[in-house]
Amino acid sequence: MKKIINDPARYTDDMLEGIYRAHAGEVGYVNDDLRCYCKKKKVPGKVAIITGGGTGHLPLFLGYVGENLLDGCAVGSVFQSPSAEQIFEISKEVQAGAGVLYLYGNYTGDIMNFDMAAEMCELEDIETRSIVGADDVNSNADPAARRGVAGIFFMYKCAGAKAAQMGSLDEVLAAAQKAKDNTRTVGFALTPCVIPEIGHSNFTLGENEMAMGMGIHGEPGVWNGPVKTADDLAAESLDTLLKDMPVASGEEVALLINGLGATSVEELYILSNSVSKILADKGINIYRTFVGEFATSMEMAGASVSIMKVDAETKAMLDLPVSTPFYCQK
Amino acid sequence: MNEITVNEWPLLMETIAKVMTENAERLCEMDAQMGDGDLGLTMKKGYCALPELFAAIEEGDMGKRLSKAGMKMASAVPSTMGTLMASGWMEGGKRLTGKASVDAAGFASFLAGFAAGIAKRGKCSPGERTVLDALAPAAEAAETAASAGSSLADTAKAALDGAKKGVKATKDMLPKYGKAAVFAAKAQGVEDQGAVAGMLLVQGLCNGICG
Repeated sequence: MKKIINDPARYTDDMLEGIYRAHAGEVGYVNDDLRCYCKKKKVPGKVAIITGGGTGHLPLFLGYVGENLLDGCAVGSVFQSPSAEQIFEISKEVQAGAGVLYLYGNYTGDIMNFDMAAEMCELEDIETRSIVGADDVNSNADPAARRGVAGIFFMYKCAGAKAAQMGSLDEVLAAAQKAKDNTRTVGFALTPCVIPEIGHSNFTLGENEMAMGMGIHGEPGVWNGPVKTADDLAAESLDTLLKDMPVASGEEVALLINGLGATSVEELYILSNSVSKILADKGINIYRTFVGEFATSMEMAGASVSIMKVDAETKAMLDLPVSTPFYCQK
Repeated sequence: MNEITVNEWPLLMETIAKVMTENAERLCEMDAQMGDGDLGLTMKKGYCALPELFAAIEEGDMGKRLSKAGMKMASAVPSTMGTLMASGWMEGGKRLTGKASVDAAGFASFLAGFAAGIAKRGKCSPGERTVLDALAPAAEAAETAASAGSSLADTAKAALDGAKKGVKATKDMLPKYGKAAVFAAKAQGVEDQGAVAGMLLVQGLCNGICG
């Protein structure tokens, strides 16, 4: 293991301290718990949106807490769920009288803890709704059982925009649901990542081997084999995506090309170019392209391709400027 | 004990902790045959922490305070059984909100809530060889006893009998969840360790109420 750390056990908390020191004006924590990450600015009457999940995916999840996006994030240890108590404490802090939307990835531990927090909120008369991102097509044939990966970015954008426009809790939920229904992701890994407290990777990939469909925690994919060209990966990814969610010629999509942590931005643009060309050949118009790191797996190499079908409403929500310590869009 | 007020709960939590501590090794051994082997330690750690967690909570309502203590116990023992037990306390506590004390009927509704909280969180039903197979019959037996006008102590004893019968019945149940499902054949004729943990909880409550 080669990492810039002090103590593997302090990985998450040292990281959080660093974030609070760097961005003290924008974010802070409550309940004397570094892992209760909250936006400082509160807008009375606005629906609060809270996310959460394990550490190891920056800028996911806490990186989307900021202007016109989310209000709080419960931070778990590396690849571990945060606790119900942490989610509950954040809820009490960031709620502004209009209820709280829990928007997070479809993982068993996270679901249990967010559900428990929701029950505790009920006791305090804080209204909550919950929705999970479940966009990873290769993780399960059943859409409800899929893992949540980079496509949750589109849910954040749409829900965040609706909340910023002072939509009601159910309207914010509906915006997230619409983004979810229209988003699909396919990902692939080229090298594994190392959980600091374990010290070595849980699986290996050969020098020229890759894994199509691998999850952001190293969950096994649909095939392992020689590394393919960007054009071939783009073609296979789009084939999987469009079979699962058909997009007709003339329809519009938003495109998200996401790096898993160790893949260069140069390569991401090579992949983006390949994907864009195929979409153009199919007559599918790309309304907006996002390229960069949105949901990583520490130092894993690889990428994911997400598309969201858009209409006038979702386009306007995607266009709303946002600003967080980790992500700005004009 | 004729009724349980906010002052008695820490005592009951301590009697539960005592039972869990005495049986920690047994639970671990049972669990090692079917799962991780840490069930006894989880229960011991969680329930030994509970009295202090409860004491530290500033909350006027007894039921809400039990719910909050449950939530905090989940943080203390982040594991499947820890989360399930915590969910039991949360829902059991919820059923007592607004009450100043717990009588026989209140105890029965606490247990019913406890079982319901576990069923909801674990998405499980009775008969699936889980902790619920001790707690659901315990709640039913308590409800029957309380409805018949039994005292709190007799209701607690009835609940314990129900839990014990429930544990025995798990010998013939096939595991559906967790690592135990992998060892389905091995489970035949053996009591489910989760159900035993549930029975020990009722045992602890009963010891405290009757002691």
